[in-house]
Amino acid sequence: MRTIIALVFLFVFSSCAFAQTTEERLENLEKTLKKQEQTIQELKALQKTVKKQEQTIDEQRKLIEKLTAKTQKPQPSAAVSTAPTAQAASTEKVQHEVEELKDQVNSVLEAQQKKLPSEFNPAIGVVGETIFSYRNKGSNATGSDRPGGWDVNQRSVELNIAASVDPFAKGYAVLNASADPITGEATLGVEEAAIQTTSLPCNLELKAGRFFGEFGRLAYIHDHELPFVNRPMVLDQYIGGESRTDGAQLNYLLPIEHYVSLTMGVGDGFGSAPNDINDNSNGNFRNFGGLSFFGRGSTSFDLTPDLSLEPGISGLLNPETINRGGVLALPNGDPVTLPQFPGSRLSQTGRSLEGVDLTLSWKPLQNNQFKSIIWGTEVLRSDSSFDVMPTTGGAAFSPFSQSVESYGMYSYLTYKWSREWSAGFLFECMEDSWNNADKTVAYSPYITWATSHWNQLRLQYTHTDHNAVSGLRPDDAVYLQWAWIIGSHAHGWQQR
Amino acid sequence: MKLKLIHLFSIVTLAGVLLYGIPMQAHAAKIRVVTTLTDLADFTREVGGDLVEVHSLATGVEDTHGVPMKPSFVPIMNRADLLVLVGFDCEHAFLPALLEASKNPRIQLGKSGYVDASKGIVPKDVPKSTDHYQGDVHPYGNPHYMLDPVLAKTAIGNIYNALVEFAPQHQMELTRNRDAYLAKLDAKIAEWKKEIIPLKGVKFVSYHEHWTYFAERFGMVYFGTIELKPGIDPTPRHIEELIASMKAEHVSIVLREPQFPEKVPRQIAEQTGATLVTLPIMPGGIPNTETYIKMEDEIIRGLLAAQQARKTAHAMK
Repeated sequence: MRTIIALVFLFVFSSCAFAQTTEERLENLEKTLKKQEQTIQELKALQKTVKKQEQTIDEQRKLIEKLTAKTQKPQPSAAVSTAPTAQAASTEKVQHEVEELKDQVNSVLEAQQKKLPSEFNPAIGVVGETIFSYRNKGSNATGSDRPGGWDVNQRSVELNIAASVDPFAKGYAVLNASADPITGEATLGVEEAAIQTTSLPCNLELKAGRFFGEFGRLAYIHDHELPFVNRPMVLDQYIGGESRTDGAQLNYLLPIEHYVSLTMGVGDGFGSAPNDINDNSNGNFRNFGGLSFFGRGSTSFDLTPDLSLEPGISGLLNPETINRGGVLALPNGDPVTLPQFPGSRLSQTGRSLEGVDLTLSWKPLQNNQFKSIIWGTEVLRSDSSFDVMPTTGGAAFSPFSQSVESYGMYSYLTYKWSREWSAGFLFECMEDSWNNADKTVAYSPYITWATSHWNQLRLQYTHTDHNAVSGLRPDDAVYLQWAWIIGSHAHGWQQR
Repeated sequence: MKLKLIHLFSIVTLAGVLLYGIPMQAHAAKIRVVTTLTDLADFTREVGGDLVEVHSLATGVEDTHGVPMKPSFVPIMNRADLLVLVGFDCEHAFLPALLEASKNPRIQLGKSGYVDASKGIVPKDVPKSTDHYQGDVHPYGNPHYMLDPVLAKTAIGNIYNALVEFAPQHQMELTRNRDAYLAKLDAKIAEWKKEIIPLKGVKFVSYHEHWTYFAERFGMVYFGTIELKPGIDPTPRHIEELIASMKAEHVSIVLREPQFPEKVPRQIAEQTGATLVTLPIMPGGIPNTETYIKMEDEIIRGLLAAQQARKTAHAMK
């Protein structure tokens, strides 16, 4: 019985509870309905506004046509002779009214034009680059930072961001997740992040932050934009890869009728190695000469409408790098040793670089997107000074300083015969920057298939030859590069 | 090393001081105008008359999206008072970089010297997305409005406004020039509309999507493009499908712009029985098209001749 009474109570109370819930639901439904009614009314009001705007545009258009017709209608000659001043004033007034109305219509039309949802965001793009390769010798024989045999290298994943900072400057950043050559682990780094003025007077432009400083023709171009798979050896060793610096650069366009551009810059280090600072702590003090100074001058000559020649000269100076460069190392991480002093260690103390570059371009005006020939050559001279120090277990000798002058160059020719296809040949030779008796020669034919601006496959064969001094062996390698871009991608002045 | 550094600074400073002193060529009092394309140059000359010195970056034979970025353009742009461009991102492949290199604050985006000729024109084909699956799509819409002479009048108006704003003391002369040119153009438009009547409803294809505005103005039917997507070459499948649909829909003209290779358009024309005609997209694109009016004359003449050739070929069959 108790159970039955309990169940009856439970039923009654739960019914009340359900009843309350139903009431609440009804209230909610009523609220929702009211909201929907409001929304419908708002939409109707919006429709009316749009219709009114359309009517206004039509009316204004008709009025313009009417007024324009009036202004174009010839006036009777008698009237002209009797009241020319009054007529001129009247015509001017009508014309003024027409112009005003045109402006009004244009502003309404502009306001109604479709806007992009991303228009307030900076331009953003991502670049990916994968290198599939086979090299027939191991890294001990090639001195490379990549292993021999089969290799897949996700060389970079770049995030590019750019936008105006204000009416006087623009800013950009390139974040790159590069794979570590030894561990293969990708680490995100700031490759570039700089501000650049856009409205300095006197033909000046100032850039500051982390950026690729202007030096030579290809040193400040990102890997995926190179005309071949790998950065030329001489740029890799003499500059340290891309010409990255943390500093400032001032560019000046000469105010003459011929194109001459001059650039000077100062930075903390230049290139990724070997002059990157790695010891400015513990109270170390840097003299002015401890910074890197660089500059470039370039010009251009239009030999014919289709043929142009662009020569340039560049210079880099690291007057003092004592206690900064540290021990020099090969790309694979092994310390550099002078062959005559086994086990010796080299420490960079200063360097200067001079370069001359020349680019000859044949780009027929009519179909330059389908046909072109580009020949580019760059010659570099490196003057590198370093201390040679003994190490325990190595050859015994007193530390001494040495200065080495070395030369290196690369030259390439690329022929494009359709929008999708191009092929070329790269020749390189180089003396080692700390031992000029160590010489390397390489050549690389390559072929590129670009399905579009944003999707490109490149096949390259490279034969590298070292002389006996290097202790390295000749090797052959085949590379397949696949580079792609999504999002925004600007066609920069440097990539022309 | 310190000596080297001092020498480096001395040389650069001296060079800078000396070169800064080089006198620039005197340019009288003319308004220096740089235009991206030749149609804009023609309009500016017509409106500006003797008051302007006009330089066009394109010579007329180039692709409107692919004018080579020559360093020799930089000093010209550096000295310009006004830069006139098509707008709607037509010049995206070359103009932003040239503008940056020019170091001319007067003609940068947002400044009064930056004259966007598209102001007031309602664009067609505005994409819903700018994803590259649509090719090298223009985010603000199709920028090839200049081939429609009525819309070209808006561009002329924008050029006039910019010149008047720059040199208000010459307003009367500029107004006179503009009115005279617009009257001439209006007369030609009326003439072209009459001439093109036999082409009303005629279907045609072109290599790139240059002809949307032109086709609508003159009542022709723009059937499609040989390119797969803007900036993307046609694939064999696309060509096959285009040929099949052209045959089914009796498309009579294949219009090739001189910037693009002739092989594929010719192949399509041969297989569909359509007539291949090469027509310019800006003044100077082919011989006898030095001015805008001459160019439009040539376009209409070329289309009429192509349609006539097609009719004759059919009659002979």
